[in-house]
Amino acid sequence: MTMTANPTNETSAPRNINISQAVAEGLRLAMEADDRVVVIGEDVATQGGVFGSTRGLLKAFGPERVLDTPISEMAFTGMAVGLAMDGYRPVIEIMFVDFIGVCLEQVYNAVAKIPYMSGGKVDMPVVIKTAGGSIGAAAQHSQTLWGLFGHLPGLRVVAPSNPYDSKGMMAAAVASDDPVVFIEHKGLLLERAQDFEFGANVPREAYDVPLDKAAVVRPGSDLTLVTLSGSVRHALTAADAAILSGVDVEVIDLRSIVPIDWETIGTSLAKTRALLVVDEDYLGYGLSGELITGAIERFGLGSLDYVGRHGNPGIPVPAALSLEREIVPGTESILNAIVRAGAER
Amino acid sequence: MNNPELWRDRYRLMVLMRRFEEACLTGVASREIHGELHTAIGQEAIAAALAENIREGDALASTHRNHLHAIAKGIPLYPLMAEIFEKETGLCGGFGGHMHLFDKERRFSTTGIVGASLPVALGHAYAAKLRGDDTVAFAVIGDGSVNAGGFHETMNMASVLGLALVVVIENNEWAISVPFSAASSTAKLAERAVAYAIPGERVDGLDVDATSQAIGRAVAHARSTGPALVEAMCYRFRGHYEGDLDLYRSQSEKTDRTTTKDPVVLLRAQLRDGGMLDEATLERLESQVSAEIDAVLAQVRADKQPDRSRAHDHVFASGLKGAVA
Ligand SMILES: Cc1ncc(C[n+]2csc(CCOP(=O)(O)OP(=O)(O)O)c2C)c(N)n1
Repeated sequence: MTMTANPTNETSAPRNINISQAVAEGLRLAMEADDRVVVIGEDVATQGGVFGSTRGLLKAFGPERVLDTPISEMAFTGMAVGLAMDGYRPVIEIMFVDFIGVCLEQVYNAVAKIPYMSGGKVDMPVVIKTAGGSIGAAAQHSQTLWGLFGHLPGLRVVAPSNPYDSKGMMAAAVASDDPVVFIEHKGLLLERAQDFEFGANVPREAYDVPLDKAAVVRPGSDLTLVTLSGSVRHALTAADAAILSGVDVEVIDLRSIVPIDWETIGTSLAKTRALLVVDEDYLGYGLSGELITGAIERFGLGSLDYVGRHGNPGIPVPAALSLEREIVPGTESILNAIVRAGAER
Repeated sequence: MNNPELWRDRYRLMVLMRRFEEACLTGVASREIHGELHTAIGQEAIAAALAENIREGDALASTHRNHLHAIAKGIPLYPLMAEIFEKETGLCGGFGGHMHLFDKERRFSTTGIVGASLPVALGHAYAAKLRGDDTVAFAVIGDGSVNAGGFHETMNMASVLGLALVVVIENNEWAISVPFSAASSTAKLAERAVAYAIPGERVDGLDVDATSQAIGRAVAHARSTGPALVEAMCYRFRGHYEGDLDLYRSQSEKTDRTTTKDPVVLLRAQLRDGGMLDEATLERLESQVSAEIDAVLAQVRADKQPDRSRAHDHVFASGLKGAVA
């Protein structure tokens, strides 16, 4: 059994849109409401983004507020810093998260630190909109990298898993006075809303989904499975199958990497006493370690009968799908991890 | 055009390049190739010109649109295609894929990050200086790459150090949906060479002879003095990648350019009308090339993907396994 992340919308029929359209709609409404919002990046204007997640914005707001740039990430990420200092609210698109290297300096030394260095006098209401996810596109085009951003102080980091959240969290990201790294999932962006088991309804009007609230997308009593982004769907399918092995899994969609919603996780762990983290990102020094250590620190060693994690074991994403399947969590491997967790308790 | 052998070889190589990439297109359709496959169909004359000017010991750092550069560098077709098809018999055992082709012995590498090949070529050029040999390092890039910071840093350093670096820009007028005219502060990229005090020239990249001569001049300058830049004009015939709907540019312009400005078709007409090669010879040559590529494709198709148990290999040269595996 699965529960929708937004039960209030269950009545209206799902619209036939995909996640990138939901994101574009969130952006459009935010730009209508606030003319300080500008969108900058490669292929965001004429093409409306390589996935279509800025489609329609050029027509609605013109080429100054929706700026197609040369392939100059360092320059336009730095531009966001200056724009923010001048009172604008830039949304910059780094086409794939994998390309962040060429402008990471501006991201972690300027965007993330200036609010602190200025003694709180200068805000950086910048959204760094980008796409992650392992999609069979090999080592330089299939990373998720949220752990990298999570490590750098001063950045909110979010990664929605469904159409409803994608629109509402984009709106909230633009409205936030903190810099937000907004990581879409390449494998989800073109999926139709109606194909989602949860969060399929995307209202036409503006709404926010809070940036720092995890969602229980499937209640269960035996094991708390915390995951996010593209893995949520796989986790739900695996959780449904795990019933046959006698494990009743509660699936939590983290939604926000920074900050982590400990309240939702704590409530779940109080019930299940077992934590499994499923993370598409590299496991080492990342989100899974943070979640497990954080849970132990907060709730005490004695509060948990099991902790485990399943994710990319620290391997560049290989090109051949046979190899990718070995290292990127999928339905089958998540089910195995659940069964293992069930057996070890 | 008084060297029939040279012209036949040029044409043969360009047809081979075309057929090679057409074979790759079938791999996208059959889902044997994943991710965004970028072909250089329409850009064969530049790669063929490159092939004429690159020595075995020279280095070449290429981009996401790299198959023809690999052929120009003399990488055997079978392991090359096998890698593009993600097979265990591939150049990199299926670990790299079509965007990440590496051949250490032939000093060939690629990157999927725009602009990132330039500093790598700089390293090859400096290595040549350290060794004291006369090899040249080539960076082949698209017109979009020159707007990335790495271009400026590389050009400046290469010039300061007087390194044997040849930068060939394939100006196909588009960087995904952004036209060259909207992205460059200068009307020509060749003129940016002035800023680095190096020679730069623009050439018709559909003309294999003119392009070969321009690259030849750049190479001669590189071997004797320091870096040089060649901007070869061309047009991207297909979408940015296979699957790109390509709605951002005029379809009539595209149809026009692909029908009247195809370098392979142009050269064929030139050779036939100039009396260099007769129709029968051209056809024979074309069918030989097609048969050769068909054979490679069939062989590649029969190969397996790497066994999934090998996914942990190669993370570290020492054999150390992935960080938390
Ligand atoms: C640093 C970086 N930014 C963006 C991209 C996405 N991207 C891949 S190819 C490309 C366009 C490249 O244009 P150009 O250099 O002209 O080469 P072409 O594709 O036309 O051959 C872009 C924007 C990338 N791979 N790396």
